[in-house]
Amino acid sequence: MKKEKNTKGRREFLKVTLGMFLSGALTSCDLSQLKNPRTMIKSPIRPNILRPPGAVPEEHFAQKCIRCGRCGEVCPYHSIKYFDVKEAGVFSGTPYINVMEKPCYLCMKCVYVCPTGSLVPCSKEDVRMGVAVINRQICVTWQQQKTGLMCKTCFDVCPFAGIAIKIDHDFRPYIIEENCTGCGICAYSCIADTWYENKGKKAITIMPIKWKKIKEVSLKSVKNS
Amino acid sequence: MGIGRRDFLKKSAALTAASLVGINLKIKTDGVTLGESASAGENLMRIPEEVKKSPAYKEEDGYTWVRGTCRFCGTGCKVWLGFRNGKPAVIRGERKSAINFGFLCMKGMLFYKLFRHPDRLTQPLYRKSKKEPFKPISWEKAYEIIADEMIKAIKKGEWTPFGWSGIAYYGSGQALTEETYLFQKLFRCIGTNHVEGNPRLCMASAVGGYLTSYGTDEPAGGYADFDKAQTVFIIGSNTAECHPILFRRIMHNKLKNPNGYMVINVDPRISPTSKIADIHMQFKPGTDLALLNAIAHVIVNEGLYNKEFVSKYCAFHIYTKGKDKVPLLGHQVSFEEYKQFLQRYTPEYAAQICGGNITPEMIRKVARRFATTRTVSIWTMGLNQRTRGVWANNLVTNLHLLTGNLCKDGADSLSLTGQPNACGGVREGGGLCHILPGHRFVKSKADRENLEKIWGVPKGTIPPKPGYHTVKMFSAITYSERDKKRFPGLKPIHFIWVEETTPMQSLPNVGHYRKGFEREDVFVVVNEIFPTRTTEFANLILPTPFHFEKTGVYGCTERRSQLTPVAVKAPGNTKPELQIIVEFAQVLAKKLRRERDPRLRARAHTVYQCVAPFIEAAKKDPWWTLAKEVWSEYAGKVTKGRDNDLSGATYEVLLARPDGVQWPAPTVEIAMKGGTLRRFVVGKDPLATEFVEKHPEYRGWKVVDYGHLHNLPTLPPESRARFWIWLRPYKGPAEPPDAEYPFYLSTGRVIDMWHSGDMTGRIPELANDYPYAWVEINPKDAQRLGINPGDLVLIETRRGRNIIPARISTDEGPMEGMVFVYWYDQEKHRMINFCTIDAYDPGSKQPEFKICACRISKYAPARPLKQFLVKLVKVKGGYLHNVEIDRAEY
Repeated sequence: MKKEKNTKGRREFLKVTLGMFLSGALTSCDLSQLKNPRTMIKSPIRPNILRPPGAVPEEHFAQKCIRCGRCGEVCPYHSIKYFDVKEAGVFSGTPYINVMEKPCYLCMKCVYVCPTGSLVPCSKEDVRMGVAVINRQICVTWQQQKTGLMCKTCFDVCPFAGIAIKIDHDFRPYIIEENCTGCGICAYSCIADTWYENKGKKAITIMPIKWKKIKEVSLKSVKNS
Repeated sequence: MGIGRRDFLKKSAALTAASLVGINLKIKTDGVTLGESASAGENLMRIPEEVKKSPAYKEEDGYTWVRGTCRFCGTGCKVWLGFRNGKPAVIRGERKSAINFGFLCMKGMLFYKLFRHPDRLTQPLYRKSKKEPFKPISWEKAYEIIADEMIKAIKKGEWTPFGWSGIAYYGSGQALTEETYLFQKLFRCIGTNHVEGNPRLCMASAVGGYLTSYGTDEPAGGYADFDKAQTVFIIGSNTAECHPILFRRIMHNKLKNPNGYMVINVDPRISPTSKIADIHMQFKPGTDLALLNAIAHVIVNEGLYNKEFVSKYCAFHIYTKGKDKVPLLGHQVSFEEYKQFLQRYTPEYAAQICGGNITPEMIRKVARRFATTRTVSIWTMGLNQRTRGVWANNLVTNLHLLTGNLCKDGADSLSLTGQPNACGGVREGGGLCHILPGHRFVKSKADRENLEKIWGVPKGTIPPKPGYHTVKMFSAITYSERDKKRFPGLKPIHFIWVEETTPMQSLPNVGHYRKGFEREDVFVVVNEIFPTRTTEFANLILPTPFHFEKTGVYGCTERRSQLTPVAVKAPGNTKPELQIIVEFAQVLAKKLRRERDPRLRARAHTVYQCVAPFIEAAKKDPWWTLAKEVWSEYAGKVTKGRDNDLSGATYEVLLARPDGVQWPAPTVEIAMKGGTLRRFVVGKDPLATEFVEKHPEYRGWKVVDYGHLHNLPTLPPESRARFWIWLRPYKGPAEPPDAEYPFYLSTGRVIDMWHSGDMTGRIPELANDYPYAWVEINPKDAQRLGINPGDLVLIETRRGRNIIPARISTDEGPMEGMVFVYWYDQEKHRMINFCTIDAYDPGSKQPEFKICACRISKYAPARPLKQFLVKLVKVKGGYLHNVEIDRAEY
């Protein structure tokens, strides 16, 4: 993900200091673990590690979120977890969803309990946590000639099957980026890792995107490999 | 931000600490492992020398590969099982196979994960009362107990024309052919025809259909016809999900030739299959007979029928109750009478009955297409699981006979089976109460005596009347007032041996029959690999090997037999079924010899004789040689000279062939070429050629129906050696919706879960996708009833109720006024067979799973649900199923 230019105000500075202090306290003041102090202010959101539904753009998220933990409390699937200071610095305590561990099932409960509007209430269809990208070199159905498999698991599990994900006449899946919510159920369910030549790699990755820029991002920058 | 600096500090510290501790969300397995699981260095391979020398073995890419078949569904895909470091690690398709061409679906690719699954049963488990916990016992003890209980049950019952009334065997379309054959041999030798199998629930109507139309069971063509056809007529089948490999073939052809290849899907529900259909005919459930007759009406009235084929090779038959003695034969009528009969079924009349989107014009269009192009019809449970399943089967075959769309390339009337060995094992191996191996009939004296001679047992060993069919058999176990009233003169059953199937989930109206299995005076023996809804009621659980852990043959839809050799060591203290039968029969024979009753004592020798040829092999090598010897008796002796002649298909041939052998294959030469693709065609089918040579009156015929039932000496000569077109009137379902129960309820399968979900539910990748079942509701109905997607819905029928989440989709799903539920879930509230009806076809005795009346209402808003599997749990004094510990909860 492209690195964001940070506008450091007093608040930001304070957070960094606090984060470092905390991290130091928790790891017995071993600051050598922080190889690059810049990780403390770099967003930990990356492929497959996403913000919950309805999150405001990432540059504002850490400021808006008060780390109250209510979104994780109401999440019935225990999908929402919190960053810890070691990996996230100032973003510690903010919620994330690791779709490979547990994807978001779009029950939309978290957005209504957020007290600060870090998660903005929206309907299921409008959620844009990220966009699914299929690696056609790994997907067992795209590699049909080699594997002889006809998996359409991602299509079967997608809550918007036929809208966000479609299959062609050979069962090969493709994503309609405009409609993909990035919930990650397809990535979680992908069985390509069980194929012996893939060495445990899954064929679908959820790439995080900027919420407000979904329309431009979709086709240009997140093209299938 | 309304938060102070101090608060922030506190909160973030607390949260960070919490996330460091972490919450473990992994699903805990509360099952227990009875046997040892594989250790890191252990070599699990058990490959016989004979297989190692054959083409069914290779070493490639650092893997060791053994060739066999897939265990899921009736397609019969050929697979390679790959071993890495002595452990099963991968499954891939066989490219040379004419069935799957190397393609596999997810079930087939992943079943290697079940070989050393922690839930596997590895120890015989016994309990005297069904309330006690199970205790592990030895095999010797288990045999003693079964023999004692069996003799006790025999004595409780009485001798009847169908044999001992107290004991029964319930087999499976998943058991290997050798197993079904030997099990039924044992039970017939003990002296009972209470031999049934779950194929009664899945394809008995197809057997009835083929027997009446062809005079002999099983289809005339095969999958190869898909490639040469111009039209595929899919009725009552969701091929895309239930037979994905065949669907790929259809789809491939459609893609190659989008305008010339037409797919017609006839189904009340819009399924994934409809997506490639050019015409989707959506009709009210249970009105298919009217629709099929209307298509025939158009074909006959517009003169589209094949005059030569009809006049030369077809006869017309009708069964009138009261007038005809044998329903299978009926009596002959003329073509004029058939025309007269069809006059009622005008397209307008049918469209009015069928409802949905059916218009008279659509029926005419389909009929014209059917008649003028090469057509393959395929169907599965949509037609079979009906109270008039046999009639529906006849009517589809009628269309093929009228238009001459049979016995030529690209034209066939093909019933797809749902289980891997329903055709090979049960239909051919004699696994039903009314049939004997080699397409023989229990009722026929000649067939019985012939078989007794082959077996070397005294004359009269096999009782002369068929035993109880499935619904009657389980009614005889339940034996309540309702059952006694339903089947007058019903004799109770006190002992049942269930093999590789789970009737306590798969039977219709299962709530009623579960009461029978709960009874303390019914002794239940179950052969299983995993705890199931049936082992829950067992007195004795016998652990058996999984697929590829034993040797045997599966016979798929298109009459094709394929061998799966043993390749993996079975876990713990499991024994292959064949060894169990052979060892048990010796114990039983010993016990019978000591009985006072001369009828029982006389059976001792018969029982011993039944397994005598295999005792040596069972001692020496139960994994390979035993199966080979049973097969050589079955294929070489029992099927020899029958229409399903497999005597050429020895194990050597089956190992060498990449895709098995299609019978008839009377010689090794024919078998090596793959057997017979097209039945009944003189010159292509060795039996047809032989038949014409024997009977000079049929000289010059291109097609001859040599079916046994159509060549009986009592028949008029105009009916003999011909296919029969049956006159079958329209009849609706047993329980149509009414004011109280206004919805049609239908059931089915999803792609990744297979039948009861005992195996596929334990493969984590598949269970993630389909953790629980759901009900599909038409969006219009859902809106009317205020049901949102994911809401828990209460489904009620006259027999039971279910609470199950809803799925509402605009582009898929049932028609208005119908709901559709998947039956793989084992949770009590989501087991839809508590609701289905146990009315059955009077001809085939197959229950009507597909149609009953129900009502639905919103029960609760959406909430997350978990997968549920029956497991064994260690308790004080032994093992119990998790469902038994707290009955109310599950």
